[in-house]
Amino acid sequence: MIELWNGLLKAIELIVTLDPEVMEIAGRSLRISVTSALLASVICVPLASLIHFHQFRGKRFLINLIQTLYSVPTVAIGLFVFLFISRAGPLGGLGLLFTPAAIVIGQMVLVTPILLGLVISALRGVDITLIDTARSLGASVFQTSLVVLREARFAVMAAVIMAFGRAISEVGISLMIGGNIRGYTRVITTAISLETSKGDLELSIALGIILISIALVVNIALNRIQQR
Amino acid sequence: MALIETINMGQRRDVRDILRNINLRIEKGEVFALIGPTGAGKTTLLRLLNLLDVPTSGKIRFDGVDTSAPAGVRLELQRRMAFVLQKPVVFNASVYDNVACGLKWRRIDGGEVKEKVNHILEVVGLADYRHRNARTLSGGEVQRVALARALVVEPEVLLLDEPSANLDPLSASRIEQLVSDLIQRYATTTIMATHDLAQGQRLADRIGVLMNGELLQIGSARDVFALPHSKEVAEFVGVENIIDGVITSNEDRIVTIESHGRSIEAISDYMAGEEVCACIRPEDVTLALARVSSSARNSYEGEITWLVSMGPLTRVEIQCGFSLVATVTKRSAEEMGLNRGKKVYATFKATGVHVIKRN
Amino acid sequence: MRKLTACLLIMLVLVLTAGIFACSQPAPAPAPAPAPAPAPASGPQYPLHDPLVRFKIATTTSLYDTGLWYHLEPIFEELANVEMDIVYAGTGIALEYGRRGDVDAIIVHDRAREDEFIAEGYGINRRNFAYNFFLIAGPSNDPAGITGLTAAEAFQKIYDEGMNDPDTVKFVSRGDDSGTHAKEKLIWGEVGFDYEDVRNSGEWYVEAGKGMGPTLLMANEMQAYVLADISTFLAYNLKTGLKIESLVEKDPIFLNVYAAIAINPETHPKAKIEIANQFINWLISQEVQEIIDTYGTAEYGSSLFYPIATCDIPGCPPEEDYTKPVP
Repeated sequence: MIELWNGLLKAIELIVTLDPEVMEIAGRSLRISVTSALLASVICVPLASLIHFHQFRGKRFLINLIQTLYSVPTVAIGLFVFLFISRAGPLGGLGLLFTPAAIVIGQMVLVTPILLGLVISALRGVDITLIDTARSLGASVFQTSLVVLREARFAVMAAVIMAFGRAISEVGISLMIGGNIRGYTRVITTAISLETSKGDLELSIALGIILISIALVVNIALNRIQQR
Repeated sequence: MALIETINMGQRRDVRDILRNINLRIEKGEVFALIGPTGAGKTTLLRLLNLLDVPTSGKIRFDGVDTSAPAGVRLELQRRMAFVLQKPVVFNASVYDNVACGLKWRRIDGGEVKEKVNHILEVVGLADYRHRNARTLSGGEVQRVALARALVVEPEVLLLDEPSANLDPLSASRIEQLVSDLIQRYATTTIMATHDLAQGQRLADRIGVLMNGELLQIGSARDVFALPHSKEVAEFVGVENIIDGVITSNEDRIVTIESHGRSIEAISDYMAGEEVCACIRPEDVTLALARVSSSARNSYEGEITWLVSMGPLTRVEIQCGFSLVATVTKRSAEEMGLNRGKKVYATFKATGVHVIKRN
Repeated sequence: MRKLTACLLIMLVLVLTAGIFACSQPAPAPAPAPAPAPAPASGPQYPLHDPLVRFKIATTTSLYDTGLWYHLEPIFEELANVEMDIVYAGTGIALEYGRRGDVDAIIVHDRAREDEFIAEGYGINRRNFAYNFFLIAGPSNDPAGITGLTAAEAFQKIYDEGMNDPDTVKFVSRGDDSGTHAKEKLIWGEVGFDYEDVRNSGEWYVEAGKGMGPTLLMANEMQAYVLADISTFLAYNLKTGLKIESLVEKDPIFLNVYAAIAINPETHPKAKIEIANQFINWLISQEVQEIIDTYGTAEYGSSLFYPIATCDIPGCPPEEDYTKPVP
């Protein structure tokens, strides 16, 4: 118990004094996960619109598949991406393994089902009369989808924020394809798992506090948006 | 050439035929009212005319162009029309943005957009609401936004689905007045769907009666209301007296109809032996306490079975061999001291009887 | 609209914060008391190199958990003007990374598998650069009574007592195909067991599946016996105060020799062979050997690793394996 308390005090000291190592790791986590959430959104929001607005055979099945993929374990994704980007794999020539870019790619794969699924739900939530209204006023199919996206903008933003939350709290992908390299690919979650297993509590606790604070901010943002 | 023409158009959904055999010609500049009970298929028809849906059979021609054309052509045709839906929805944006969107989609440049939008907002009386979020408006105001939104694009054809149906009477009459003014002002070809016959009568040049997916009658307001072609139409347009009988003689177009032991005189071309219905509008029936000698040939003694006040009028049901419904002014009813059980004489002219074939 | 602005602001704040963090220098690992590795306090500061060239190595966990790499990394980066990426991996995983060409050099300690690796064409220019010894640690009260025995005898006793009373006598294995794990299997072989039989024999045998440091901590928690290298053991003892003691030390079979191998550019053309060669030569150079000789002396009284040249018991590698520089 005393050990825990000491750890907590030292952790707070690390945070308050803006300890460079802690800040560096936290900053990297944020950069990587914000990037993956935003990049994935740029791809998934239009893709989700395409899926939503078009009828095709197997659409029902596709949406079910997307929802099933919400809960793929991160280590499974980590392994899958690892096999692709390892030098021995098909994309090996790019030399991506053990780089922050690799983690971004892995996290993008992770959040894609969530983004697709939630954006499609968001679009579904828009009154169908709106689509008729837009079309009856002369909007083309593309213009109509923009209208629907605008109407659903808050739900779409909530999806992006949720994707970010998922990305920043995962450890399986960062560990497997980032390598937890100090000063390069070490992020909050991998640092915590490394330091804890080595018995160093202060750094773990400090990083844990930061991660929880980020999660809190994300949650508050989400709540305010969803009230719209 | 008609502006819009439908040829044997039908719409089938699952196993039901929502519309059957629709043959309609709308001329440029006319105001056409589509009346019918709820569920008759009016909205479906309007949607087909606006090219929102594709008919499962038959075709539509807009300005001579067959509308089963590729999407680009359809979009162009669609942009020449505007549709105000039943219970219109507004976008989560300002009133200005709502009204401007049709113009923006047609890629009209900014300055012109501003001018047109501000003008139409003045016309419908929403100029002060320009920057308010449209979702905060009342029902009547939303309807006005929807009208402004549709008219600002200067459509060749305006389609209205129950323009005043969901409003309180005051707002409804205001909207109706506005619609009437706008139609006159812009001389737009208008197709309006309504279940309110009187409204159709007030606003339209021609009326089409849609019942159960079929266009039962198309004609001028007078034709439809006074001279319904069939029993269903007659019932719908408020001819409350539809009396079954048989023609016993026809002399110079003056026929005698036997019904329930009484004779009714009417004007018709049908020959003796024909099974018919005599249709008399309740307002064409006059009541008196004593037998009146007048030019009206049809006069019957009967007893009041039911009496109900309807605003400024009183509706009276009389049993005189057959059932008869008359509407008189409330004042008259009071002056005559009408009440249940009272003996009265109901009279109507031969010319007030519209004879239709019983099928 | 207000709420939309608020949310955009929050996202902006997040991105800005990330940017601010990004600008701060990465920290030198040693310094104040809560240090992740017990390196000598007078280590050089860790400067941030422009990462034009990234040199990746996969290292055995025992070397990493003692903090030796934290110490050596900045020196080599300065010298070769590269950015060194050190990936933590047991010998088994390190060899796999080497086979796949995901790293430029590997540091391992299992002679048999190293030779296989090189024979298969994946590695070249193998050199030994340090050694130490294993030991068997266990609870102070030594319930299995192995103090003073040889390695093989101790293992036999642990097996017998463990089968007898699994609640009191336990053994924690690395269980991760590492060099240490390989040594453990070797000792079981000496006793006459088939490793698979030992593995499945009972609850007394625990497979950690972790690196050396974390395995020690697990053995500590469970008050179990464990095979560990002396350096990691001493380092963790100092850092976290282990409640297990070294019980069996002197046995030739405990010799643990570390090797560095460069990845063969003929198999993986993208492997940075020049830097790998420079690295290996640097490891066997006088300068690094002296560092190894003295690393940890201040804290532990004796150094954690020994320069390879001082190896003088049977099983030590021949001189050419550590003196001849690579071409």
